[in-house]
Amino acid sequence: MPEEHIAIKLNKIFHQKARLGIMSILMVMEGVEFNYLKERLKLSDGNLSTHLSILEKKKYIKIKKKFVKKKPKTLCQLTEKGHQAFVEYINNLEKIIKSMPGAERK
Amino acid sequence: MIEDEKRQAIESIGLIKELITQTEREMWYSGGGWISIIWGIFCLVGFSGQRLLYTTGPLRGLYWTKGVYWTILSLIAILATYLVVRSRVKTQSQKRRGYFIRGFFLFWIPLIILAYVLSSFCIFLPDISVKYIPIFILLVISTGYLIIGFLFNKEILFMGTIGFVGTVITGFLFLSYADIVLGLLFGVGLIVTGLISNLRWKEQKLLQKTG
Repeated sequence: MPEEHIAIKLNKIFHQKARLGIMSILMVMEGVEFNYLKERLKLSDGNLSTHLSILEKKKYIKIKKKFVKKKPKTLCQLTEKGHQAFVEYINNLEKIIKSMPGAERK
Repeated sequence: MIEDEKRQAIESIGLIKELITQTEREMWYSGGGWISIIWGIFCLVGFSGQRLLYTTGPLRGLYWTKGVYWTILSLIAILATYLVVRSRVKTQSQKRRGYFIRGFFLFWIPLIILAYVLSSFCIFLPDISVKYIPIFILLVISTGYLIIGFLFNKEILFMGTIGFVGTVITGFLFLSYADIVLGLLFGVGLIVTGLISNLRWKEQKLLQKTG
């Protein structure tokens, strides 16, 4: 049952819409401000903080707080570990899709 | 169960692709403040110059030279835009260069052609006054800003809305002063839009550098 095997290998951390969104944006931008992510993903402060903490605990992202022009800013950055894990996640998703009956014909 | 995983996989891949594409496009447009400033200066200089030269100045009555005047100004603005874009694409990936080229040729070029076609109605159809030329052109350009604004950038959306509404009001109520009103509206509006875009972009870059 190779299909089941791939499905089980999927990283459950990314298997959530908000975290998937955070990781996708961080794959493109070097560093993203908290408010930017909040606006883009239409999440509340608390909700976004929770998802960022989960990713930070897994060391997939780094969160830094700093002052820019005397205003506090929270910067989120993708780590090398996070980058690798997300690429692997995307590859596994593609494997699942390719394993669909008739996928080759498309 | 397996079918459910597959459905989820397709949805997830779709969402990832959509977010990555949107973010890449947004990155491209959010750094384009200087382009907005160039076209703001173009509007300010163009309309105020037109007023000075053709109402009281040496070219009074020589309306045929307006085409030459705007063409020269447009060429200068296009050249300046090209130089700004060239300096930016040097550091961009091949993929982002592709976005610009596609964006420029598939979006702005058809809009500019549409503006020229509408303007030619004013010249060739005697019932439509040539005074409507800037109104038609700026309505088309504002529509362009509205579309880009909806897709990528709040400041440009704001500028597009102000520009579109302002052009309609000017067309109906202040047609005799269209060059002054529209010159100020688009000139100041685009310069402010460009400055805000640049400021946001700088803040983002500063955060990345200090990160």
